[in-house]
Amino acid sequence: MDSNLWFQIPVALVMGFMIWRMIPAAKHWLQNGPKGSSKEWLSVSMMMAAVVLFVTFLIVVVRG
Amino acid sequence: MLNTNTITRSAESALSTNRVLRNTYALLAATLLFSGVMAAVSMAVAPPRGMSLVCTLGALGVLMFLLPKYENSSAGVGIVFLGTGLLGFGLGPMLNAYASLPNGSTIVATAMGGTGVIFLALSAYVLTTKKTFEFMGGMLFVGLIVVFGAAIVNIFAQIPALSLVISSAIVLLMSGFILFDTSRIVNGGETNYIRATVSMFLNIFNLFTSLLHLLGIMSDD
Repeated sequence: MDSNLWFQIPVALVMGFMIWRMIPAAKHWLQNGPKGSSKEWLSVSMMMAAVVLFVTFLIVVVRG
Repeated sequence: MLNTNTITRSAESALSTNRVLRNTYALLAATLLFSGVMAAVSMAVAPPRGMSLVCTLGALGVLMFLLPKYENSSAGVGIVFLGTGLLGFGLGPMLNAYASLPNGSTIVATAMGGTGVIFLALSAYVLTTKKTFEFMGGMLFVGLIVVFGAAIVNIFAQIPALSLVISSAIVLLMSGFILFDTSRIVNGGETNYIRATVSMFLNIFNLFTSLLHLLGIMSDD
């Protein structure tokens, strides 16, 4: 067996297990979580856009 | 009388929220420092790749299975240090790999600084506005499940473009989780500082590793 597979298989299994553990939390928040207004989603989008711009700036910095 | 009771209850609730917030940030600072020291030790010792994987899996086991049993007692604090220390130690070989690149130290320092700026800016926004971001919960968990699914595929497929997309998505998801978790503490949705610390630590840890990966890919080296 390829030695890389000895690392890949346990990592994939753990990630699969974490997905399985996250499904109830996702269901709970989708069914019982509060719904955001369009204004609230807009403010989240603006913050995510700021994060994207900042990461782009960091990429420019490391590329010199 | 009713008004006095209401005011007393709301003052107690505000005090309790402030206590959770203060304890969370104190424990978060201590665990980040400890994890950083463990990462530095791991970089110096340079353990084999298998040891790094064992430490990371061990940390996940400790935080997912052992911690829930002790999260309401002081023993929980020790378990948080054990889990975060193992995560830090597991990070060492990856940091050594990036540090060995021609501008590796710049990439690692930029990822560290970038993580700090994103975390502080988003936390400060929630703490000052006291806005609630709990409406993001469903979207964030579904997003994380989709990204984990894609990551499992890419463990075997090893497609560089997909790796880039996954890291970018994790940076955005962890930024969202910082807003979500901070707003839950501020608005009284999370009352256990040990659980809050672990959530925040994992947000910062994943944000740092994904940003490091992204900067490593995009740096041309």
